[in-house]
Amino acid sequence: MPDALPSTNAAARTADTLLRATGGRTVLLRMPMPASPLASEQLGLATPYFQDVPLAPVVFRKARAASVAGKPIPPELLVSATIVELTVGTLDYASASLLFAEALGVVIDDELFAIESAATEQAFGKPYLYRLTLRTPQAQIV
Amino acid sequence: MQNAKDTFYLTLQQRLTALNPARTIVIRGQRRPGTLVTENEMPTAQVPLDAFRLAWTALSIDRTGALPLVTMQCEIAYVTDGTHALAGMDRGRLLAAMDAELVTALAQTPQSAPKLNCTATDSGVAPTPMQTSIFWSAPTFNAAKTTAERLERTATIDVFAYQEAGEL
Repeated sequence: MPDALPSTNAAARTADTLLRATGGRTVLLRMPMPASPLASEQLGLATPYFQDVPLAPVVFRKARAASVAGKPIPPELLVSATIVELTVGTLDYASASLLFAEALGVVIDDELFAIESAATEQAFGKPYLYRLTLRTPQAQIV
Repeated sequence: MQNAKDTFYLTLQQRLTALNPARTIVIRGQRRPGTLVTENEMPTAQVPLDAFRLAWTALSIDRTGALPLVTMQCEIAYVTDGTHALAGMDRGRLLAAMDAELVTALAQTPQSAPKLNCTATDSGVAPTPMQTSIFWSAPTFNAAKTTAERLERTATIDVFAYQEAGEL
């Protein structure tokens, strides 16, 4: 008897295809290395090392149809759930939310954007897309 | 000024750890005492729970004495959601426990500490004592703020230090 429900991976595969078809690109997720036990890091004297992890396919958009007059729209990054799952596993994080919470930001065209929030789009209880709200670097705000 | 800030942080962390060694936080995979200085950590939207977060705010300098007297305001914020096992119903008790730890640590005698120069700690050298000490006022506790199941309080302390010759 055929399954009454569609495959739970179908939504993720469809999202990946749509992301690739609508200008899907690669960005870098900047992750800090584990903290040092030395007091110097707690005092702000030493900075951690970072590693840049590629995320693809993603769609980066600065403008959206729905906006509130007079309010700047934060840039948004739509990320494939497939690559997020892979990254969570590779870097040994407990969850995607923890991964994004610990990330320093996302490097897009050599500019670092901080992650303000991360939301999940789900189908049948399984994520197929992550929606990251980014913050433009302070130096670029005019 | 930076030496005074570092000294106050290290002193408070040491006293709070002695009072409750179980209060720890995990930052980037490293477990450490549950005290941090916000400006020394990576900017993040995540607020560490059940930990003391120090932020340096107001600053004034009195130059009438032989050495300039620097007064720095330190805001210590702490939040708790309670424990999951008790459905967060113990959040009031946990906040009260943090209040008590902070009061006790700050009221311990002496209410001063030798000022330390921590600039060499980056290369593994222990902080070196300087000529003068830092000292601090009694804390002022603000009303607890409730956001959904989260309880938050901020305490304010004035930290005083003499600016030594050649000190940045």
